[in-house]
Amino acid sequence: MNFEPLTLDRETDLLRKEVRAFLSDQRDFLKGGYIDCWSICEPAFSRLLGEKGWIGMTLPKQYGGGGRTYLERYVVVEELLAAGAPVGAHWVADRQTGPLLLSFGTEEQKEFFLPQIVRGECYFAIGMSEPDSGSDLAAIRTRAERVEGGWRITGGKTWTSFAMTCRYVLLLCRTAPPGSEAADRHKGMSQFILDLESEGVTRRPIRNLAGEDHFCEIFLEQVFVPENRLLGEEGNGWRQVMAELAFERSGPERFLSNFRLFSEGLDFLRTSGKGEIGARTIGRLAAQLMNLRQMSLSVAGQLQAGELPVNEASIVKELGTTFEQNLAEALRGPLAIEPGVDAGERMSSLLGKSILTAPSFSLRGGTREILRGILAKGLGLR
Amino acid sequence: MNEMTSIIEESVNDLFAEEVTPESIETMESGGFPEPLWSTFDGGGWTRIALSEEDGGAGTGLSGGYTLMRIAGYHAAPLPVVEAILGTYLLSASGLPIPEGLLTVALADQSPPGENNGRLLLPRVPWARHARGVVVVLPGRNGSTGVAWVDRDSYQVQEHRNLAGEPRDDVLVSSRKPAEEKLIHATSTEQVRSWFALGRAAQIAGAAQKALERTIAYANERRQFGRPIGKFQAIQHQIAVQAEQLYAARCAADTAIAHLGTPQEWECIAAAKILSGEAVGIVAGTAHAVHGAIGFTKEFALQLDTRRLWSWREEYGNEDHWSRRLGEFCLALGEDRLWTFLTAQTG
Ligand SMILES: Cc1cc2nc3c(=O)[nH]c(=O)nc-3n(C[C@H](O)[C@H](O)[C@H](O)COP(=O)(O)OP(=O)(O)OC[C@H]3O[C@@H](n4cnc5c(N)ncnc54)[C@H](O)[C@@H]3O)c2cc1C
Repeated sequence: MNFEPLTLDRETDLLRKEVRAFLSDQRDFLKGGYIDCWSICEPAFSRLLGEKGWIGMTLPKQYGGGGRTYLERYVVVEELLAAGAPVGAHWVADRQTGPLLLSFGTEEQKEFFLPQIVRGECYFAIGMSEPDSGSDLAAIRTRAERVEGGWRITGGKTWTSFAMTCRYVLLLCRTAPPGSEAADRHKGMSQFILDLESEGVTRRPIRNLAGEDHFCEIFLEQVFVPENRLLGEEGNGWRQVMAELAFERSGPERFLSNFRLFSEGLDFLRTSGKGEIGARTIGRLAAQLMNLRQMSLSVAGQLQAGELPVNEASIVKELGTTFEQNLAEALRGPLAIEPGVDAGERMSSLLGKSILTAPSFSLRGGTREILRGILAKGLGLR
Repeated sequence: MNEMTSIIEESVNDLFAEEVTPESIETMESGGFPEPLWSTFDGGGWTRIALSEEDGGAGTGLSGGYTLMRIAGYHAAPLPVVEAILGTYLLSASGLPIPEGLLTVALADQSPPGENNGRLLLPRVPWARHARGVVVVLPGRNGSTGVAWVDRDSYQVQEHRNLAGEPRDDVLVSSRKPAEEKLIHATSTEQVRSWFALGRAAQIAGAAQKALERTIAYANERRQFGRPIGKFQAIQHQIAVQAEQLYAARCAADTAIAHLGTPQEWECIAAAKILSGEAVGIVAGTAHAVHGAIGFTKEFALQLDTRRLWSWREEYGNEDHWSRRLGEFCLALGEDRLWTFLTAQTG
């Protein structure tokens, strides 16, 4: 295991400048300067990014993609996150569903979905967790049964982010006959592309503690999914989901969720005469942030080289989300202001929002304990 | 990693694996000089590694030197590799002759060196008692760095040690000022100081890796309640966190090495010393927790790594020192330039 430092070439520099210039013209979309901005859906903004060619950048040109590298995508994404841009709508489709469709999808699926994803018009949700299956993902019960012309799915998913805004969800289901999972729980699962507007689907938002409605419950009753919406091979679901998670765990969103608190907090300290009190805290956080970026870039380089750096991705996610969770904890002392929820009081609301969203950082995408377990195995603990 | 670096890595690893013995370490700890190790090391020309190829170096600049320092840290090599390599480099850069034998370095840049009845006092100089002489780093004219040579004949030492038993001697020079001083232009003493901090960060990355490897091996081998303790989730998670800290520290050191000679050199080194310092408490603490009582003995080798880690994190500025400095730097940038700075690394 290693995190080799990586050099970005000149071309990414030009791309970065282009993104910055674009963002400086998007005052309306950016005035929120959001905390946890990849949980904020703005389809109009997503379509704008699509026009610029900044969604599905790594997908091949034949499907409308940019044919660019993971490092180029990295540069675009980190610029968007640092600005607090509302990138939630297309986030999952861009980060993981696109690459997954490319690896496992049929030609028809690629031709149908990828161009829409790239345009910023087609949004996907992640359909893994269920009420009785969180960390223990292999315990899912939602079941798909073969019927004429396709499958019939019954069960339900929960905590599905953006299920109200997304047209599709990539659903992990059991496809092996009931009872057979006793032999090997990881076998007999498959992934389906489910149109959330299908008959038999009910969706309901779940309000979170910060008062937002971004995650949802999905109820599935005898929902018909045509044959051509099975993704990959029947029974290969577990392997596909694991590939998906490597994309999900190492990106800059794992440490930049609340970057606005850091950058604006630094200015607040400086301009309110608290620079001296805060310097040590700022320095320590800056060092961690610089390093997380290097580690995450290094993983992007490994993904680009076609590797599947599962352990490295787990490390980035664990250290990154710990950093995000610690940000408000570390800054609240030197800032010495009351955290609030009123957008009018900028610093107070950045702090308040960071505190309220922090618990989710180390849960979504696999909990801290699960990541440590993966890593322990990767280290050779038997 | 380029080819030259892997060649260095391999040769130095072989050398230290062979020559660093419990006896050589014991010799150092009891105040002696590990002559056989030194003569192999010196004979291989490794102190010149950071020089140009014409001068007997590897042609990798400082970066090859740091690879060596990391590996020396991994093997707990009882030699002042950081001071010997960087001291040689400083003499060469300033145009002073490079003497035969072990040399060490004293950074006298920050406050004027203490004076003692008209004699120069240089505190806590690594291995000064065994050295042929000390390379003294002083503030030069117009922000440059002054380098002077003080021969062993012209100083006395008061012997001290750090937690690892490595010599850290107070040096009392017989004159008020070193005789001859040469300048290294376009290099500030601040920068020179940071190179030494990076040396300790590289050594920490090496020693922390060794501590992690020992911990994993021990967890797989030691059995309690009828199974290896590495099977217990509580142990697994502690070791996972320990590994995260090591890999973060290692990445920060490697990043700083990759940024030598770039505009972000100093900031990356600051980050490396902060992250390696932060890692030490967790890496060493977990290593001992997992090893139980056996790890608390002098006999068991884990203490070679952990006592070094606890010493090195303090030397050339601990994480609090560097955090304050890096924090002041970031605060001066302000919000607008902060992100530009953060993304300036690696491109
Ligand atoms: C904001 C947010 C968005 C989300 N979005 C989505 C989404 O879009 N799609 C989706 O499918 N899911 C989503 N999730 C669900 C997320 O993946 C789960 O919350 C997560 O996998 C944990 O499952 P759980 O909440 O059921 O907790 P549990 O699995 O019940 O865990 C509770 C606690 O027990 C610990 N634990 C569990 N098993 C072990 C073990 N073997 N060893 C040690 N400790 C253990 C956990 O680490 C945790 O601390 C989202 C969650 C959040 C908070």
